[in-house]
Amino acid sequence: MDFSYKEKGLIASLGVTLLIFGWYLYGAFLNLSLNPEPPGFGEIIILIIWVAVLESIIQGFLASKNKSQLEDERDKLIEKVSYRYGYYFLSACIWFLMAQILLDTRFDHLPVLTTPYGMLHLLLLFFVLAEVTNFVVQLYYYRKGF
Amino acid sequence: MSQQTLAEKVGVTRQTILAIEKDKYSPSLEVSFKISNVFKVSLENVFNYE
Repeated sequence: MDFSYKEKGLIASLGVTLLIFGWYLYGAFLNLSLNPEPPGFGEIIILIIWVAVLESIIQGFLASKNKSQLEDERDKLIEKVSYRYGYYFLSACIWFLMAQILLDTRFDHLPVLTTPYGMLHLLLLFFVLAEVTNFVVQLYYYRKGF
Repeated sequence: MSQQTLAEKVGVTRQTILAIEKDKYSPSLEVSFKISNVFKVSLENVFNYE
């Protein structure tokens, strides 16, 4: 299958996001407890640095292999539409979380999620999933056509 | 004329020219006019509305 420069970049971003945040969130949700240590900002910052470094290396490598990194009207349109889907997804997740907090009974079977640590990681999960939605929608439109 | 040459003259990517050719993308009026200018023909000779 032949991928364009944009598609390769998107696949790389998707891979890095899933790998780093997936690994982190998997570990975090496995170790959730009702009396956790306070969430450490250091961990999150290290995570973001990892993503930024890996992204820079991969995007730099892809850019060196492609002489033209021009972004045209089609790219901007696809990006705009994908951000809209990402926004809808994130909004739905935030409304879901707000409803859970207001109703105060829905997390009965998973009380660890009501702790600040659980909430923080749920929010992080929603942000990551919104970003994944953005990448997947872009890839879909590049493949299907727009 | 190759897709790459046309793309460079119009100021879009080769993938966009490919998508226009395959009828997978409707270009803006500006890009449509640029394409017809490259071929020195009127817009109706390059594009038609179905």
